[in-house]
Amino acid sequence: MTATLAPEQTHADGVPDLPRVGFGAALHAEWIKLRTVRSTGWTLAAFVLLGAGLTVLICALNAEWLASGDADESPGSFITWGMLLAPVCAVVLGALVVTSEYATGMVRSTFAAVPRRGTVMAAKAVLVTGLLLVVGTVTALLGYLGGNWFLDREGIGMALEGDVLRAIVGSGLYVAGIGLLTAAVGFVVRHTAGTISLVLAVLLVVGNMVMLVPGTVGEWLEKLMPGNAGGAIASPVPFNPNLLDAWNGFGVFALEVAAVCLLAWTTVRRRDA
Amino acid sequence: MTIRAHALTKRFPGPRGSEGRTAVDGIDFTVLPGRVTGFLGPNGAGKSTTMRMVLGLDAPTSGTVSVNGHRYADSPAPLREIGALLEAGALHPGRSARDHLRWLAASNGIPHTRVGEVLELVGLDAVAGQRVGRFSLGMGQRLGIAAALLGDPPVVVLDEPVNGLDPEGIRWVRGLARRLADEGRTVFVSSHLMSEMALMADHLLVIGRGRILADCSVPAFMAEHAASYVRVKAPSLDDLGRLLQRQGADVVREGSGSAAELRVTGLSAPEVGEAAARDGRVLHELTLVSASLEDAFMTLTADAVEYHAQTELEGATR
Repeated sequence: MTATLAPEQTHADGVPDLPRVGFGAALHAEWIKLRTVRSTGWTLAAFVLLGAGLTVLICALNAEWLASGDADESPGSFITWGMLLAPVCAVVLGALVVTSEYATGMVRSTFAAVPRRGTVMAAKAVLVTGLLLVVGTVTALLGYLGGNWFLDREGIGMALEGDVLRAIVGSGLYVAGIGLLTAAVGFVVRHTAGTISLVLAVLLVVGNMVMLVPGTVGEWLEKLMPGNAGGAIASPVPFNPNLLDAWNGFGVFALEVAAVCLLAWTTVRRRDA
Repeated sequence: MTIRAHALTKRFPGPRGSEGRTAVDGIDFTVLPGRVTGFLGPNGAGKSTTMRMVLGLDAPTSGTVSVNGHRYADSPAPLREIGALLEAGALHPGRSARDHLRWLAASNGIPHTRVGEVLELVGLDAVAGQRVGRFSLGMGQRLGIAAALLGDPPVVVLDEPVNGLDPEGIRWVRGLARRLADEGRTVFVSSHLMSEMALMADHLLVIGRGRILADCSVPAFMAEHAASYVRVKAPSLDDLGRLLQRQGADVVREGSGSAAELRVTGLSAPEVGEAAARDGRVLHELTLVSASLEDAFMTLTADAVEYHAQTELEGATR
């Protein structure tokens, strides 16, 4: 050892008199972890490429048609189009932050370093949510700037206000929620492929299949599925008139995410690592 | 700065309806500072489960385990109180050795400069920037040991530290454990290799099937469990056996044909030879066989081994 052992100051109850490390330290550690694996960079690059790139592409290809009299769709349906697919990358990011630790056994190092598991979970949640909120909003904004350039040339450009502005910030909010939801599922499921498949199935497959359930039950299931409820906030004009409006839908989505987080916390708190 | 377990028990539930398995069965022990305590037992005896409970990773079914008088989870900065080498592989293969230590340091408010110090200490400074997925098992162990020492902790727990190390690495771990104990730290090392523990530990805690079988110093363990006997080969074994029994020896006949021999306890080799000579008998072999520490360990844990190899195999490799 390079340093000799300093005499320990201890309280009467035996807990040594060290400065207590808490949430800030755990968050800092998680931030280092996230930055030091390559998958983070790849996933975020794919996120921006899909989220902004596809919007620009689809606007460029459709601007002329949208400006013509034949168009039966609003340009507003196109200006955040890429954000329909970008959530897939948010799912991957949210899963990897949690499940890669279970896959490699590193979660034991993590819980040994920060034995309060709620602190670890909160740090990961804040990190995933914050990162995707920023990256999601910026990506939607880039898509808007690029896509709107083509729309402007045809004289149908949209100002960055009202529902358009809401959809751009909403895109960030929605993908942040998706990332958090996936991280929470990851804590319960613990397998990367299982977590990603499960969340994508609920968002993309089950969300559409419930439309086949007849009657009012089917209608409400369709409204309440997380992808349907939460996704509306990311588009200036609704794709599907049966769904809840943007903010009500997002409120339902947020409650659903919170419920899964609670399930994850109660599971991880008592489970052997 | 002690680790103390009281009636510590861990039961894993079995598949639905079945009884399950008791990995650790109400054990009591104390690991004291200033010496290397070897935690020894066959695979599946409950060593790793016990160590995971010390670190708060597994919750005990009943009983308690404390470090410095409190639960691990109540430590204000656990890595500065106990450093642990967990089973190999508790690492992300895509992250560099330095980055792995950096996040650990950040999580416990350990100064950044300490990362370079421990990398140098374990001899990984030259490869610190490499991704750990490319590391050999031995390099992974060294990184795990670096992580354990990161917080300069007064208590060091090493689970199977010599696994995957080359002879030079094994000697290094041995020296390190010694030095840490000499500095006054509490050093708790698990192994399933008796020979390794004999060289490294001052004190032994032997576990088998979840129970403590011995809690004593290494010399005391030897004296109590490493029995020796005198091997005798002679033309008429049975007559010789009866003669030795009359002298007060315990005699067991082993083997058959040319491999037949007597195993004599209670008389020394010279006494056996003199007794035979007085009776005018020919001896073909007279050897003192001292059981190794390994044998003592095998004897002690014979009933406590979870998975037995076939006995024939065991005999063939002697």
